[in-house]
Amino acid sequence: MMEVGDWWRRGKWRIMVMLTMLHIVGILIFTRGFLLTRTELPYYSNCSDVSESPCFTGQSNPYQNQSNSHCWTRPAVDRLVIIVLDALRFDFVAPSTFFKESKPWMDKLRVLQKLASTKTSAHIFKAIADPPTTSLQRLKGLTTGGLPTFIDVGNSFGAPAILEDNLIHQLASNGKRVVMMGDDTWVQLFPHHFKKSYPYPSFNVKDLHTILMVFLFHVDNGCIEHLLPSLYEEDWDVLIAHFLGVDHAGHILGVDSVPMIEKLEQYNEILDKVIEVLDNQSGPGGLHENTFLLVMGDHGQTINGDHGGGSAEEVETSVFAMSFKKPPSTMPSEFDSSSCEIDLDQKKTCISSFQQLDFAATVSALLGVPFPFGSIGRVSPELYALGAGTWNLENNIEGNCPNQKEEEWMQNYCNVLCINSWQVKRYIDVYSASSVIGFSSEDLLHISDMYAQAEENWSCSSENLLSFKDESCYSSLPLKRKIDAYFKFLLNVAELARSKWTEFDLKMMGIGFAIILISLPIYFLAMMTKSVNGFSLLFGDSEIFVKLVFALFMVVIRACSFLSNSYILEEGKVASFLLATTAMFKLRNSVKREKMLMEAIIFLLLITILRFTIEVGLSKQAATSLFMSTHSSWLVEIDPGHPVWTYMAEIIPILALIFLAYLLYIIMARSSCRSIWKYVVLGTILCYILIAVHWASESDVLSSMLMLQGIGRNCIPRIIYAIGLGQLLLLAFSPLFHKDRDLESKMHLLIKTLAMLSSCSSTIIVLSGKQGPLVALVTITGGYCIMRLGNIERGSTDKVAGILTFDPLSVTQWSLLATCLFFVTGHWCAFDGLRYGAAFIGYDEFVLVRQAILLTIDTFGFSHIIPVFGLPFLVARQKLLGRTDQDRRLLHLQLSQMYLMYGLITAASVIATIICVIIQRRHLMVWGLFAPKFVFDVVGLILTDILICLAWFYYIGRREDGTQLTTLDHWD
Amino acid sequence: MVKASTTENPSQSVSPMQTFFIHLICGVGLAVGLWVAHNFYSISLISDPSRSLRLIWVTMCPLVILFYSCFRKNPEKCSYLKAVIRGVLALPIGALVNALGAIALGAPVGIQYFPKTVNWSLLMSLFTFVPAASVFGSSWEDWRRIFAHTKPNASVDYMICLPAHGAVIGAWFGAWPMPLDWERPWQEWPICVSYGAMAGYLITMVLSFVLVLARGGQQHPKAD
Repeated sequence: MMEVGDWWRRGKWRIMVMLTMLHIVGILIFTRGFLLTRTELPYYSNCSDVSESPCFTGQSNPYQNQSNSHCWTRPAVDRLVIIVLDALRFDFVAPSTFFKESKPWMDKLRVLQKLASTKTSAHIFKAIADPPTTSLQRLKGLTTGGLPTFIDVGNSFGAPAILEDNLIHQLASNGKRVVMMGDDTWVQLFPHHFKKSYPYPSFNVKDLHTILMVFLFHVDNGCIEHLLPSLYEEDWDVLIAHFLGVDHAGHILGVDSVPMIEKLEQYNEILDKVIEVLDNQSGPGGLHENTFLLVMGDHGQTINGDHGGGSAEEVETSVFAMSFKKPPSTMPSEFDSSSCEIDLDQKKTCISSFQQLDFAATVSALLGVPFPFGSIGRVSPELYALGAGTWNLENNIEGNCPNQKEEEWMQNYCNVLCINSWQVKRYIDVYSASSVIGFSSEDLLHISDMYAQAEENWSCSSENLLSFKDESCYSSLPLKRKIDAYFKFLLNVAELARSKWTEFDLKMMGIGFAIILISLPIYFLAMMTKSVNGFSLLFGDSEIFVKLVFALFMVVIRACSFLSNSYILEEGKVASFLLATTAMFKLRNSVKREKMLMEAIIFLLLITILRFTIEVGLSKQAATSLFMSTHSSWLVEIDPGHPVWTYMAEIIPILALIFLAYLLYIIMARSSCRSIWKYVVLGTILCYILIAVHWASESDVLSSMLMLQGIGRNCIPRIIYAIGLGQLLLLAFSPLFHKDRDLESKMHLLIKTLAMLSSCSSTIIVLSGKQGPLVALVTITGGYCIMRLGNIERGSTDKVAGILTFDPLSVTQWSLLATCLFFVTGHWCAFDGLRYGAAFIGYDEFVLVRQAILLTIDTFGFSHIIPVFGLPFLVARQKLLGRTDQDRRLLHLQLSQMYLMYGLITAASVIATIICVIIQRRHLMVWGLFAPKFVFDVVGLILTDILICLAWFYYIGRREDGTQLTTLDHWD
Repeated sequence: MVKASTTENPSQSVSPMQTFFIHLICGVGLAVGLWVAHNFYSISLISDPSRSLRLIWVTMCPLVILFYSCFRKNPEKCSYLKAVIRGVLALPIGALVNALGAIALGAPVGIQYFPKTVNWSLLMSLFTFVPAASVFGSSWEDWRRIFAHTKPNASVDYMICLPAHGAVIGAWFGAWPMPLDWERPWQEWPICVSYGAMAGYLITMVLSFVLVLARGGQQHPKAD
């Protein structure tokens, strides 16, 4: 018992390291349950692979004689036209009779409904998408035939090109010519696959309302312009046209709006024309003799025009399929799962259901290209039947069996399914062999069983089935049974994959959460180890007690605010609101004591400035990543046209920088500091000058004036990084140079802090761009005010009784200020909130690790690195007491408690975020909002923990720590 | 004005009945403002916040200033008229302080919000600054005692201190629903903040009456 207590008391740094480990382990476990990951495999399907499949063994291969003309499956269609209408709701396409009540936006695509009800070769499907229902993820899912997850391991940052095997790759490598027009996301995903492409940017600008009203009706013009002429051309096999209008109209105005209806009417006309052209050319020998048309949505949208989540409105989209082959093919009735309704014109329309997962496999089968390696979809019977029909229709007319046609079709389909199942089985085997997080062995065994059952010793060909032949006709019974077995296998695989890749592992999440939760009481215990009867002392000092309660109230209310998506969206505003509240509390305190009124008012003014800056950042977030450059968020609002403003925008940051350097110089000159610290700070001043020169050389106004163009663009930032690293190394090894303990005073601590902050600051400022020095000034002013206001009471009581030797409210304010700074510097908790431009300051080429480090420094610089290392400022200037041992110990105790408190505040808010994602895991916005917030918070927490450990070693040191705390027990 | 004559004693102690009366008048003033807005102008706080707030503060303003001035400190040195003028002067100053505070906390700024903010802050000024100015004038010590230390001593202190704090805290809590995406009209600035402030004001007026009553009950045995 004694030993445990001793260990506990001696090694507070151990507690901090332990807490860090606890957080990392807990977060890893939680993340494994929450953020579903799937490993992308680098394998591609090839034409020749199919010989490994059991489907063509022996004499049973029905296409043996023509094996050169096709690859995996026999091509059923020659040309394919895919028209993607972004965010096409199911009820845009389906007749209104399918719904309880008719809405104004229904029945607008009348041409599709008419064809679906009159022609057997046209059919409407309800397509079910797998969330997340964002265009990029959906296009990925559609073309790879896999399930997209939040983090696709192997996804490179910045470039979203699909590296997995996919439909477009298969088309391109099997000699199909693909033409694309419309949304430029396709070109980002498949940069080299298209023969011709006419990409148009998919701007998503909500705020520029007036521009958009014009834009809305031009967004598709480029696409329309190219679509109809292309239909007359012969130089393509697959044509993809992606229209964005419905998505935009939904985002801006919602579904129930006039522009949306107008847009749908416009599409109706376009589709009418397209179908007319295709129909006219579909005669024998015509250009579109065997063309297949697919009109489909990539996902749905809610009435407000949002999408991304997993609600029915968002995942339900539709596919309209039509074959122009004459005579039209028919579908065998037993695989027809459609539901039919009589529409307004008294005609019957049937709608079947279709999983978007099956799209890649079905289209591959229709076009006769290998299925993408990672596809887990099944060839949809209805869609395949529409396209494939029966080949030997003409030859088999004389057959005396009524089922002849159907039986032929089934045989063919059975063969396709055989290849399909083999391909899926191969993927599952390879995946579980090569992936870190594979499937469990039971699941694999189950799957293998089912596959073996389906395979048994049957083959789909008629020879094996001859024994079941009755008098005149084939019995389709065994064939059907076999097809059912394949279905069972494929559906099981899809189900397993869904549960593995898109469902949460609640047990893991629970364990992870519990581990993180344990850290909270440890923080409290560690803060209170000084005296057992801490509570009585705590209650004795009412002032501190009120502050502690108030501080905890702020932390708790901020934590609770994470439970709603609205507060997460406006997190910056919430933080500044709370910060302003604490500032008012402090103002009240300073009025009470009639001291430091000036500081309190300056602090409030500072928060007001912060608040407006955060709002600028939030409006930028709403307007998405159009401004995603290194441009400062402070200066975005300024009209760039005006020369005076341009001039100001160039000159003010440089002036601020010079002021910062001057400030550093003054502090250095005033303090009698030792050589090593002096050199570090001088290095920083040099860095500031270099940054000023760098910016001056980059700007048009100044460089022409000062003749600075000659200096290399990348040279200066790299020098600054090098100097910063050198300074940090120097500081890390500083204990080797300074052994004297006389300097362990507050003054010394101040110098130490200053040196550390200054060496971090130059890199952070150069990465933050022109806003950097201004934000740095704000941080310094804010820190100064918090420090001064926190010390109001210090004057009266020299020795602080009670367990808390510091002002808990100051630390809370410091942490809130850090949160505000995150938003002030133009970040927000989403992946488009990262300032990618910062990663390329000083470098042109992309190296993952290096650029990731720079991006991390930029993202967390002002909000995590500076606040953690700057925390000692809150105690450093309190009172320059004598250099007695007692004071030194008190100082160290204060510091360690403050760091624990800071860690506690960060951990508390992260725990709130985790509770929030657990509760909201089925929420609409989980992938759009909660998951990115979770990732940012968790990374922030781990970073804070590590930084606190480093700061602990740097400021407090681990050898001295133990002795100090033990002797301190006898102190009061 | 009958009340005024009874309170002209230097000890300026306020009986629970008077407290009740004053608070009732203020509460009724608030209600009348809302009622007039609703019945005569057929507007509500939601449909036209700026005009409704103006109606409320215009109705309440004379009531608050005239009645609180009756309890002015040092009535022998300071005439009733002077107290009223102090209250009138404090109205715009208090409004400015309230508006600045609201903006620091995140109130929207812009030309379309300007009349709303002005009217809201005038109302807040009536809740917070005006009574204190009428009673204490420019006595810094008293202001500090009431607003910084929150140590009300006399009954009149309770009558000023508690409703003022209640209004501010109520407004603070009233701001919380604003960012939610419920898309209700009352989430606009300053509607829910005003509701919060009024609710806080009314609740703390009741509390203040109860406390004054309790204090009176305590003091009586002592006096005996």
